[in-house]
Amino acid sequence: MSLSELDLGFMGEVANTPRGKGVLLCIQCGRCSSSCPVARLTSEHNPRRLMEMVIIGFKSEVLPHQLPWYCLSCFTCLDRCPQGGDIGEVMFAIRNLAVRQGNVPAGVAGQAKALYETGRVINPVRTALDKRESLGLGKITNEGLEEVQKILKKTGMEKIVKST
Amino acid sequence: MKYAFFLGCLIPARELSYEVSVRKVMPELGVELVDMKGANCCAPFSIQSVDYASWMALAARDLCIAEEMGLDIMTLCNDCYESLLMVNTVLKRNPELRNQVNQLLSEVGKEFKGKITVKNLVDVLYGDVGVSKVKNAIKEPFDGLKVGAQPGCHLTKPKRIHFELLRGFNELDSLVQATGVESVPYERKEMCCGGPLRDINDDLARQVSIQKLRALKEAEVQAVVTVCPFCFLQLDLGQLEIKRHSNEEFNLPVIHFIELLRMGMGMKLEDWEIKAHRIPITELLKDRL
Repeated sequence: MSLSELDLGFMGEVANTPRGKGVLLCIQCGRCSSSCPVARLTSEHNPRRLMEMVIIGFKSEVLPHQLPWYCLSCFTCLDRCPQGGDIGEVMFAIRNLAVRQGNVPAGVAGQAKALYETGRVINPVRTALDKRESLGLGKITNEGLEEVQKILKKTGMEKIVKST
Repeated sequence: MKYAFFLGCLIPARELSYEVSVRKVMPELGVELVDMKGANCCAPFSIQSVDYASWMALAARDLCIAEEMGLDIMTLCNDCYESLLMVNTVLKRNPELRNQVNQLLSEVGKEFKGKITVKNLVDVLYGDVGVSKVKNAIKEPFDGLKVGAQPGCHLTKPKRIHFELLRGFNELDSLVQATGVESVPYERKEMCCGGPLRDINDDLARQVSIQKLRALKEAEVQAVVTVCPFCFLQLDLGQLEIKRHSNEEFNLPVIHFIELLRMGMGMKLEDWEIKAHRIPITELLKDRL
């Protein structure tokens, strides 16, 4: 990659999102990577390296890539960052930006769609509904759905759901 | 003790034994649970990954329902706990963000006021009911059974959100041990079950679980005790998937903590509940099923 392909404003873009400020505190010590249960298993995932790519401005490499999605959100790095840099939070900021470029794993897109259509990310199958009834457990209703959809229209998530 | 009961999505859809056990056990311990009418999904990490404002507003909508009920929330699932606890904490601390979220909520006639607290089953049992009361309720203690407790990530992390109500391994362990079992220390107890990578990278998800299951086997536990329904799914069903893909077999029964408590209190599991465990628990618990 040549210098002209770097996006020098990428770090600022990430830092300006609500969960992305922590990237400004990153000193590249690598404690996040040494704490990460996924980094332990595959050299492909490396939170320190991802932060470095954001800092340098590798926007066109980071956002379309599956790397930000390898994070478990287990928050081990968040607790261990000596800078209070909230690396696990920055991952959410990067994924929010990635989604706007169409980079959404099918599993996540499916949950977002289910949420928009039913108000829930996981819905019971017929047999579970029958079982609930036979046990006298409460009905699963979607009486909050109208309000959920109003909110998601307002935030713009409806558009994201419909485009993925 | 009375709580707004936040059931979440996974438990009422796929882990009915968890729900049934909570509804049987908690009233016996003096905890009244009131269902939250019209509640939506908590907006777990998948939704948070898609859009920040939607997460805040949807979680806040649930918090508003509990505020209208005038009750603190009790969650079961660690993801629900993380989402609702984090949004509740952040909105209480940040008036500017609260105004923005309240603008979204005004669309549906709701307003976040910051009047309630979010707790998890473990918080309620440890902090409100108390270990001694739990212990006194145990009529048939599990003497001699060695288990590994799986707290799951968001019961204790991130610490800066949890410090006000800090619940860690010790609290969960003391509750588990109140049933008479021995909660054995094991390596990587703090580590994730791998579940969040399901449907994103199934192979990596299984590999994370394998690390955890190997550590549990090394500690020679007879069963894993979970709190979070995703940990349960990933470690129980996950063992069958691991066997299919890598031939590694653990055969380690996984039990919801509340089921352990229920059996200890002398309330038997029913047949369908026993069968809901993909790794059979019949051999391990044959004396009391």
